[in-house]
Amino acid sequence: MELRHQVIVIGGGPAGLNAAKYAANAGCNVALLDSAPRLGGQYWRHTGIESDDQSRHHNFDQGSLLMDAIIANPRITIYPNTTIWSASVINGEVVLRYKDGAFITSRLILATGAYDRSLPFPGWDIPGVMTAGAAQSLLKGSGVIAGKRIVVAGSGPFLLPVAAGLSSHGGKVVGLIEAAGKFAWLPEILSLLQNPAKISEGLGYLLTLRKAKVEMRFKQAVISAHADSDGLLESITVANIDAEFHITSTYSINCDVAAIGWGFTPDTSMAGALGLKEEVAADGSVVVAVDENQRASSAHSELHIFAAGEITGIGGSALSLAEGAIAGLAAADSRTNLRDLKKIRRKARRFALTLQRVYPIALGWKSWLTPETIICRCEEVTHAAIQSAFTELDADDARSAKLMTRCGMGMCQGRICSRNVADLLDSPDADRIKGVYRPIISPITLGELAQDGLL
Amino acid sequence: MITFTFNGVELTAREGQSVAAALIAHNERITRLTRAAGKPRGIFCGIGVCFDCLIIIDGQPNQRSCITEVKAGMVVAVQDGA
Amino acid sequence: MNSNPDAIIIGAGIVGATTALSLTNAGMKVLVIDRGNVATGTTSAGEGNILVSDKAPGPELDLALRSRDAWFEIQEDIGGGFELEAKGGLVVARSEDGLRSLRTLTAAQRIAGIDAQDISITELRALEPHLSHSITDGAFYPQDAQCQPMLAAAHILRATKARGGKFVSGANVTAITTNDGAVTGVVTSQGTFNAPVIVNATGTWAGQIAQLAGSALPIAPRRGFILVSAPTRKIIFHKVYDAEYVANVSSGDADLQSSAVVEGTQSGTILIGASRERVGFQDGIDFEILRILARQAIALFPILADIQLLRAYRGFRPYAPDHLPVIGEDPIFKGFWHNAGHEGAGIGLAPASAQLICDGIFDRPSFMNPTPFAPARFAKAAAS
Repeated sequence: MELRHQVIVIGGGPAGLNAAKYAANAGCNVALLDSAPRLGGQYWRHTGIESDDQSRHHNFDQGSLLMDAIIANPRITIYPNTTIWSASVINGEVVLRYKDGAFITSRLILATGAYDRSLPFPGWDIPGVMTAGAAQSLLKGSGVIAGKRIVVAGSGPFLLPVAAGLSSHGGKVVGLIEAAGKFAWLPEILSLLQNPAKISEGLGYLLTLRKAKVEMRFKQAVISAHADSDGLLESITVANIDAEFHITSTYSINCDVAAIGWGFTPDTSMAGALGLKEEVAADGSVVVAVDENQRASSAHSELHIFAAGEITGIGGSALSLAEGAIAGLAAADSRTNLRDLKKIRRKARRFALTLQRVYPIALGWKSWLTPETIICRCEEVTHAAIQSAFTELDADDARSAKLMTRCGMGMCQGRICSRNVADLLDSPDADRIKGVYRPIISPITLGELAQDGLL
Repeated sequence: MITFTFNGVELTAREGQSVAAALIAHNERITRLTRAAGKPRGIFCGIGVCFDCLIIIDGQPNQRSCITEVKAGMVVAVQDGA
Repeated sequence: MNSNPDAIIIGAGIVGATTALSLTNAGMKVLVIDRGNVATGTTSAGEGNILVSDKAPGPELDLALRSRDAWFEIQEDIGGGFELEAKGGLVVARSEDGLRSLRTLTAAQRIAGIDAQDISITELRALEPHLSHSITDGAFYPQDAQCQPMLAAAHILRATKARGGKFVSGANVTAITTNDGAVTGVVTSQGTFNAPVIVNATGTWAGQIAQLAGSALPIAPRRGFILVSAPTRKIIFHKVYDAEYVANVSSGDADLQSSAVVEGTQSGTILIGASRERVGFQDGIDFEILRILARQAIALFPILADIQLLRAYRGFRPYAPDHLPVIGEDPIFKGFWHNAGHEGAGIGLAPASAQLICDGIFDRPSFMNPTPFAPARFAKAAAS
């Protein structure tokens, strides 16, 4: 089946929702696609059950209003449960293939979001070690507390709502371990105070954590995890670390879940498949390069492809909403409100950069690895294997390392390990951006591919 | 409440929960054993990105338990290797 | 570098790497250069075929037979590390016509020294239990083998370096210098290197390198796609392909040819090929071709319909108009040797091709007469 729409938005999180809303309000017929069954993205993930307590969410009222408006908007068609497995340009139009056919448009807005950034360490593959986002999604999406004794760790402001959410819903958080210093925010105080809403949100979480007697530790990191005889997480080793993330001393904590997040990595897989220009952002992540109107740069200059939200740089929901609105208006060729929105975007971007300065991720994490530490979880490629490909087989770029060790060749297609491999190889920016061309964005069965009527 | 089976044992779940969440609610944390080393794995990213929580659902391997909603009568089993 | 090498090999793919190892083992000091890194061209885009089954009797088959054994000798020599496996090939016929031509081929191949076994339906099922029930006849080739080509090139280059050879990556050749009808060196983005022997092992790009010296080679790209499945339990045990594949390989047609080639690998993935078309260096992925490949593979193995596709990639096979590789000295410039144009068989043919080059450089008899592969054949064709 071929489905044509004036504007297609991919991703139902804050950026995609606002992009769809603004494009539709400017008169366009819009399709909003998401792989999940319900709108909201990771930020406004919810159970979809009316009677459920949605206080697990910060700011859910704003999200609900936006989602309700989208559902009620006759110009917007929502396609939930729709996974795009490939995206390419044919005859001047973008063709997005899903399992039963293709969506076609000449105006595309990508708002594919981000996922937790993970750093490898010995034992990070033990069941019970998960990302902070995983603990959050279990709670917000399914109402399940991830474990009985939970450590929340890593770095960045996202750890606060995760720990606060778990403890206010009956979870036992036995420690919140933050790599940054307790007063790391102090040098940025003036900039932070520009965003009183965010400050009060943060204070709210801190209050919850204090009430629940959650101990917060700073300048520490989880550097190894240990399994019991069933292979499940039993304890973690926590280290005091310096500014470079080198270990100064260690101790251990018993826990059955370690929810660890090191900020976020933009999901640029669809942008990559479309050959959009990418760049390395200030925090080292690869992002989609966009102009003032959120327009991405494509070899097909006749196309109007926009990117909004986390894939243009990690910045949180306020920035995503502003970028989504601008992209929606730009895709509809409307200039209404553009100046005000750009002002909001500028402010939100400044705030995002401030937070990145407060919570830097130093390369000293490499010293936590042992030769046996798994780097590529899918293909079980060890640190030693990557090192020997590098020293003995001349695999000094990500592509060679991949083809010689299989790191990044497994089911996740390098989404989890590629940034870490690039760091291990000290790859230059050009190598990180170039990446590896992956035309299959998400697995489909050969039977689905073989069907008739696909483009 | 609905019921599904995991490795032949009947378990309860709430509608709308992911398979991974329904299993964790019963303290079942291992969704698969790896192909090479036979090591246990479970939910990791929680949002369908990392493909670590793969599991067999109704006979089909390589299903992501974190983004698949549990359904009444589902037959779920640990995936051994691939 | 302290002193000049005896030979410069342009191209660090499988052909360049095996050539470098042969020359090194024969006592030469070699320098390998590549504009990219080890095995970043066509070598990284193949399945790692080491086949004797897909060739009709003739010089290429003689080369393939020697090369197949040479692969196991290299494994012995350098210690492996590249997943070399004699997994065996299974060619199946899906029509009366196909079967007739397959039987004619196997009879001729047996005379040429190939172990080509006409097998019964029971044997067919025993070898590949998931094969479609519509397939009732086939031939089994126990000599067919496979390796992981990038790892093979990298390990061969590693061994070459350990024996005194040098490798410079990121060296884009901008000129080949000549003097009095002989080559003298190469000018690259990483500096100038001089040697009395230069081997052009640049595969699909060999024509461009020949041109830099003022010579010519009619080598063109022939595009192919490969599908890679998600890792799965072992359901396909050999390299299995449609008898039509043999006809496609030798087709001179520029249009798309596609026939199923399906195989399981040591890493648990299933590889599905093989399409061929001459469309120049056309970038991107043609999803219609992916669909054809998926259909053909499912026709051979219906069980594949439920297997997930994980990756797809594209490569450019170096194709010469008469389908024979180009192995030998340049007809114009002395000391300028070509080892290229192996099309889809470069991995399989590389060690024996390297041996021919080495024997040619040392001007000594080789295991076969190299004349059919001589670069001069194109000059003659153009003249007549």
